[in-house]
Amino acid sequence: MSEPQPRRAAVTGIGVIAPNGPSTESFWKSTQEGISVLDRVTREGCEHLPLRVAGEVRDFEPSEAVEERHLVQTDRFTHFALAASDLALDDARLGQADTGQAPFSVGVVTAAGSGGGEFGQRELQQLWGKGSRYVGPYQSIAWFYAASTGQISIRRGFKGPCSVVAADEAGGLDALAHAARAARRGTDVIVAGATEAPLAPYSMVCQLGYRELSTAQDPARAYRPFTAEACGFVPAEGGAMLVVEDERAARERGASVRATVAGHAATFTGASRWAESRHGLTRAIGGALEEAGCAPGEIDVVFADALGIPEADRAEALAIADALGAHGGRVPVTAPKTGIGRGYCAASVLDAAAAVLAMEHGLIPPTPNVFDVCHDLDLVTGRARAAELRTALIISRGLMGSNSALVLRRGTP
Amino acid sequence: MSEPITVEELSELMKKAAGVTVAPGELQERSDSGFDALGIDSLGLLGVVGELEKRYGTPLPPDAERCKTPRQFLDLVNGALVAGA
Repeated sequence: MSEPQPRRAAVTGIGVIAPNGPSTESFWKSTQEGISVLDRVTREGCEHLPLRVAGEVRDFEPSEAVEERHLVQTDRFTHFALAASDLALDDARLGQADTGQAPFSVGVVTAAGSGGGEFGQRELQQLWGKGSRYVGPYQSIAWFYAASTGQISIRRGFKGPCSVVAADEAGGLDALAHAARAARRGTDVIVAGATEAPLAPYSMVCQLGYRELSTAQDPARAYRPFTAEACGFVPAEGGAMLVVEDERAARERGASVRATVAGHAATFTGASRWAESRHGLTRAIGGALEEAGCAPGEIDVVFADALGIPEADRAEALAIADALGAHGGRVPVTAPKTGIGRGYCAASVLDAAAAVLAMEHGLIPPTPNVFDVCHDLDLVTGRARAAELRTALIISRGLMGSNSALVLRRGTP
Repeated sequence: MSEPITVEELSELMKKAAGVTVAPGELQERSDSGFDALGIDSLGLLGVVGELEKRYGTPLPPDAERCKTPRQFLDLVNGALVAGA
């Protein structure tokens, strides 16, 4: 009797709600054109704060995307997650009739770095302004990092394995890897990704303590990693959800396999210890390549973490060289997040979504607002670059010290 | 002192506390259905109880938030409000 074929994890659907577009199509169009939508913060109650520039999601109307009870019971980050999940499931052509037949075969994994800050602030203002009787019961679940996983699964009736990764920005990649492992272990479908909504007064004040945060005034100059003018990162909201499926189950139902999740590894090197992140990233990239059975020279494009402070940028450039050898200086590197900001856990999932789309279109999106790269990297700037892309490496680091790398292979429809 | 709470008021409170809309007529008709079937989970019912406690300035019996159906809930709450008069 022959060994059963190992299960592989495929990406079959993408749903994006991003600062540059409330749909996957608009996100990709803007991303590949290298359009920057970074702008002055306009969110109510935030205008006086020293954080001036952010990537706000402005073309999203929650009441059109989710039911009234979710408007009352959940935070903005969950509205994004519910809406992005709907887009991803539609994209994967998985309707309620499909998932309803086998609810235990469908799970959810999300990552979240900041939870439901806006909802929490409103309720805490009720507490201190009027008294405990004025705090609504949904406060108990709406702020929580796990809220989106729970609400997606309840709303859709999914009963498969559900989990939440709480691991910094890099957690977005960890969530996708977790979904891939769940698919390999036997769950047919996992809705996986991350969304964040950190652009409300309380959440913004929390971020002011990060020395890596850019407080530049000019949107065109606020987030320029890998340049001598790097002055920190610009935060963003929104995010992406992907449908990760067992490849064979996906093919059997006639779904298009858009990419496969080939390898992942994660390390930890401590909060804001950027010089040391070099070794952590190198190790994570090496682990991801090893799991993918991928030689360094097979990597066709790198989606960089691009934190935007000189010490961290240098560590990342060196890690790419350490992990990929001579190929590290030749492989095209890009950081489209300089056009939309860094949405914490959502940033790396948006990069993964962009990587799948880049491989499909044979087009590496550029790094907006960045010119005059001062590291030994072939950073794609200005305009998109056409290239045959079979394998993409996505790198992410968190402010608290997580480093992750994910290898995606182009799918065969 | 207190007027009994009507189905109309309960319908309004459900919308305010949980964002769930069930028109008064339907709520009347389905007053023996479970709150869960009407879309109200335990936190939603807790929110309705909280709204009433604020309005009347008095705690409701602990069993209020454990009621399974609108009829049970209205009977219990109205009984308590009348007794408290």
